[in-house]
Amino acid sequence: MTTAQMSPAASRPSRQLETPFGTFPIDDASVIDFADGLPGFEQTRKFVLLSSPELAPLHLLHYADGPAASFLAVDPRVVLPSYRTDLGAGDRLRLGATDDHQLLWLALVTMDAGQGPSVNLRAPIVVNPARMLGCQVMPHNSLYPLRHPLALPE
Amino acid sequence: MLVFTRKRDEAIMIGDGIEIRVLRVGRDGVRIGVQAPASVSVHRREVYDQIRDENRIAAAAVNAAGNVAAEVRKRLERPAPPVAATGTDR
Repeated sequence: MTTAQMSPAASRPSRQLETPFGTFPIDDASVIDFADGLPGFEQTRKFVLLSSPELAPLHLLHYADGPAASFLAVDPRVVLPSYRTDLGAGDRLRLGATDDHQLLWLALVTMDAGQGPSVNLRAPIVVNPARMLGCQVMPHNSLYPLRHPLALPE
Repeated sequence: MLVFTRKRDEAIMIGDGIEIRVLRVGRDGVRIGVQAPASVSVHRREVYDQIRDENRIAAAAVNAAGNVAAEVRKRLERPAPPVAATGTDR
């Protein structure tokens, strides 16, 4: 998935976004609106989702207007194929979602000193590409951990 | 902070759409019911704080860790995809 595939129509000429993983061209149509921001980043409400071969299978969820916030993210089912989290009515409303199958799920990646990478399966990011709306969902009864460790293969 | 004294089954209103009601008062805790529009997200404070802290660590990870993607790929046993596309595949 790329920003281009998610946003066929550009409403403003493409601009360059500097990231720790290189420079990416973005335009208004590739901007995902997070109405509530993310916990800890309540004021950063515009993000773009960037992909590149060096990042795969990760994506970079980057603040659209600068370096204020960026996160490495991965489809939770890449990490845990059985992963499944139900959306609440409020989440669907925030996402303008009518069809769950079109939603994009992302788990944020954390790299803690000495512990290796882990992913947050407890509070995934969900994006509705049809409306370019996103939010971080925090299901009340989730049994998934905040830090699901990525173990090295035996 | 506004402070109210409430008995069991008594409630307070926040705006015209949010009701917070005391359902049960026990020795170790108070059971509270929250009725709010779907557009208002309601979370236990400590859960919100945990997720907020985790987000801050995750944001720091982007800059701190040199090659997280390679490390993740190794741990997922995923071979690197062929370098057919570059940048944003545009």
